[in-house]
Amino acid sequence: MPTINWNDRELEYDSSRFVKGTGHFVDDIKIQGMLFMTVLRSPYARARIISLKGGISSKDLGAKIASVGEGASEGEASSVEPIFASGFVNYVGQPVAAVFAEDRYKSEDLLDSVEVDYEPLKPVVTIDEALSSPPIHKGMKSNILSEAVKGQDFSDPSSPIVLEDTLENNRISTNPIEPRGLVASFEGGVLNVWASTQAVHSVKNGLAETLGLSKDKVRVMQADTGGAFGSKGGIYPEYAIASFASMKYGKPVKWIETRREHLTSTNPGRGVRGKMKIFSEKNGKITGMKGEIMVDAGAYGSGSGGFSVPFIESMMTGAYAIEKAFVTGKALLTNKVPQGPYRGAGRPEASFFIERMLDLLADEMKMDPADVRLLNMSDKPFNSPLGMKIDAARPFFETAVRELEYRREAKLAKGVGLSFFVLVPGTYTGESARMIVKDGKIGVWLGGNSHGQGHETFIRKLINEELDVSKELVTVYRGDTSVTKDGEGAWGSRSAILIGAAIVAICKKLRTEVEKEFGSYSSESLLSRDHDEYVFDEKPFSLTSFGANLATVEIGRFGNVRVKKCNAYYDVGRALNREMVLGQIHGGMAQGIGQTLHEGLFYSEDGQLITSSISDAGVPLAEDLPNFGVKIAENRSSLPHGAKGLGEAPTIGVPTALIRAVEKASGKRLRKTPVMPEDLIA
Amino acid sequence: MHPSSFEYFAPTKMKEALELLSKYGEEAKIMAGGQSLIPLLKLRIAAYSYIIDISRVEGLNKIRETGDFLEIGALTTVNELEENELVKEKYRILHEAAVQIADPLVRNRGTVGGNISHGDPSNDLPAVAIATKAKLEIVGKKGKRLVDADSFITDSFTTSLEEGEILGKILLPIPKVSSGGCYIKQKKSAGDFSVAAVAVNLVLAEDETIKSAGIGLTSVAPKPTRANKAERYIEGKKIYDSVAREAARIIVSEAEPSTDFYGSADYKRKVLGRIAEEAINLAFERGLVR
Ligand SMILES: Cc1cc2nc3c(=O)[nH]c(=O)nc-3n(C[C@H](O)[C@H](O)[C@H](O)COP(=O)(O)OP(=O)(O)OC[C@H]3O[C@@H](n4cnc5c(N)ncnc54)[C@H](O)[C@@H]3O)c2cc1C
Repeated sequence: MPTINWNDRELEYDSSRFVKGTGHFVDDIKIQGMLFMTVLRSPYARARIISLKGGISSKDLGAKIASVGEGASEGEASSVEPIFASGFVNYVGQPVAAVFAEDRYKSEDLLDSVEVDYEPLKPVVTIDEALSSPPIHKGMKSNILSEAVKGQDFSDPSSPIVLEDTLENNRISTNPIEPRGLVASFEGGVLNVWASTQAVHSVKNGLAETLGLSKDKVRVMQADTGGAFGSKGGIYPEYAIASFASMKYGKPVKWIETRREHLTSTNPGRGVRGKMKIFSEKNGKITGMKGEIMVDAGAYGSGSGGFSVPFIESMMTGAYAIEKAFVTGKALLTNKVPQGPYRGAGRPEASFFIERMLDLLADEMKMDPADVRLLNMSDKPFNSPLGMKIDAARPFFETAVRELEYRREAKLAKGVGLSFFVLVPGTYTGESARMIVKDGKIGVWLGGNSHGQGHETFIRKLINEELDVSKELVTVYRGDTSVTKDGEGAWGSRSAILIGAAIVAICKKLRTEVEKEFGSYSSESLLSRDHDEYVFDEKPFSLTSFGANLATVEIGRFGNVRVKKCNAYYDVGRALNREMVLGQIHGGMAQGIGQTLHEGLFYSEDGQLITSSISDAGVPLAEDLPNFGVKIAENRSSLPHGAKGLGEAPTIGVPTALIRAVEKASGKRLRKTPVMPEDLIA
Repeated sequence: MHPSSFEYFAPTKMKEALELLSKYGEEAKIMAGGQSLIPLLKLRIAAYSYIIDISRVEGLNKIRETGDFLEIGALTTVNELEENELVKEKYRILHEAAVQIADPLVRNRGTVGGNISHGDPSNDLPAVAIATKAKLEIVGKKGKRLVDADSFITDSFTTSLEEGEILGKILLPIPKVSSGGCYIKQKKSAGDFSVAAVAVNLVLAEDETIKSAGIGLTSVAPKPTRANKAERYIEGKKIYDSVAREAARIIVSEAEPSTDFYGSADYKRKVLGRIAEEAINLAFERGLVR
């Protein structure tokens, strides 16, 4: 039973404090005697370490990183990332050594005390180089980290229309406002960690495994977390190093990432190429699809490169009723920071590949893209040959076309794009919640941790609905592994679905308990007794939802794109809170625009990151965004509280609609994100 | 993102600043607005033991016309240029460049002297100084000397300032009656440096031919450059579309842009060609208005 200090308002979720500037982030944690850690990083994409002196390094901590969190995949032993580079460095920004001092200035000064000699080697930078070069890791036969196949192979039918294209989403940084960070403090045999994270249990399990500690000797607490977008779902070398150092020195250790470190060393998303081939009848009905995808996994399997391949493959027929499909794919090792999940995590890539092909087919057929899509949708639920179960797409899409006023827009402007997608939320393996009723109040702890989404809003609403307890009496606390036995994390459009279901399940339990004791339910009776309930609600079933986007653009004479309209029509299930739903959509649409027109991590031939400042990496600015037009369909899910997934919808639907709008306005076939001004002018 | 340690001085008199500078020599660095220097210190790309903050030095933040020149103190902030009525009215080329520099936060602190002394080929004011044929007044222990804007920046981030010297004033010739200028900058996004930018300053003769042309280029070579050949080509001519187009072609043929995330060298040439043509036409039109 956790000690609850009801007056400790600092610990609770209440979004208003972010507006008031009273949030409590990792960097706000100050402990007497705390050391500050600075990491010495590899300046080379690939090199042999000839000698290394000073700091803490692989000779002190030789462990490899445990794979935990969203998209965790094991891969071959020789491709697992060591905590510290050992023998070789394999990406610019890879931790080589770490130094510690009482303040940040001194800590950075100490970097000069570490001496490293490198022998630079020719790096493998691109997907093509990975395919043609000898393996970057000893002990591997090639640079193929993993391979996966979906669907049944079929011989090419003699279709009247066969279209092929190669499409690509460049890597992008997740770039949350708050970069990564943690404080580790080893005290009384227990490693206490405060982290900026989406998933306290992933961090706990990962640290326990990496450092060889028993799980009950590691406690991870979430600090306020200023965004993550997928990048804070697991652990990173720095977390293990800071923890190790706090054990070694017997002092708390803080590490806060700089923006430059974020760009070089935090797992970026995307970096996927798809070769597509579709077979169609004369009328535009697609009879088959073949695909081949290549994921730029980066230097180690500890990212989500391995997981990405089958996941992307499974969604590559999109929302369409394509009877035959076969996809092969590889995750490839390159001398770049390991790839990881970024809002959408495979969904936007898969959707990009199929949607670009539908637009190509429309152009080939001289048909309207909406009509080609309609022709390829089913009136009934459809099980795709790649293993995806979707609801009846056509009725939703017909409504979407009307709600977005697509036909009118298409007549008015040249640069108009329409997209359609199915969102597959990441419900695996379920989620935990704990609710404690004490002193006439309710406290809630979650396994999946809000990093800016504001989970507390829908939780309070559901508790109010289920238990008639007023919102002021409900406090949602930040994640703490000592309070919830287990947990997954907040990602994959899952929180409203899974946490919502867990909360409702607990509420039902409590109601039954109260009814048993008092004969009937009242909130007064509930609050008059102490209760403590924990559930880990498993929802393995598929709970997909549809969405459509419309974008219109104008192109300036230097190829700069002005987004005029960016509108959405999404099925969110029951909107638990309308403002929060809109907030999710607006933010995600900004990121969708960012990916399409502004953002990218670019590397030089020798593997140096060229885009090493936030302005170079290109986050969208206020002036780049139009007024968003959002319409919401509320088709309740089969869950008691009716929610569906939402968070990733805009990053799936916006890039595909927007790139089509740009394609129409420029008259040039577009195959990759980001679209650069120079792609658009003669 | 934390600088190595340094000793900090904030003199209020030029004499003091010069003394400190000569005392500490190479280990010292002048700081004005800090908008370019501080990022370098924080990233530890640069480290100095002594930082001499000249932003409090008296008498270096005035904008006024004296004799044949508009005198701009090196410590004048870019924001002051932006808001100054005289600059707005009479020095459009300068005003247009100023308002397009970075964002208001940077403009409020960044200085004219710093913008030029930093030697960044993407900074906007050097090209304006080149196009207007400005002179720079450099102050040292031995006194003052005047240099042409052209010879001030010698390479990327390198100037002809010698040890112990400070840029004191920028002297812009007061525009003749029949003259026109403009600054056209193409950037990727708000607040950004340019993909390419062009400063054009034209003085017209009675018959509307070009008596004297000044063309300065930003972001298309290792240093801000004068488009010499194009200047000579348009001098003595009236500006028609065909003349402007040919001048732009000459400008592009001489530019040496490099490929980076602002675009490929090829793209930058295209942008440069279009804005150069436009800038020549615009400056000419402005010169026609008496
Ligand atoms: C986000 C951002 C965007 C920017 N975008 C632009 C842009 O679009 N266009 C543009 O032109 N600039 C841009 N800048 C640069 C900005 O204009 C700087 O202010 C300017 O380059 C330097 O001026 P400062 O007064 O801040 O100089 P400081 O940073 O203080 O100094 C810069 C250099 O000049 C030297 N120096 C300064 N003053 C003198 C002097 N009087 N005599 C001798 N040496 C001196 C210093 O020693 C130092 O080496 C941008 C800066 C930032 C941070």
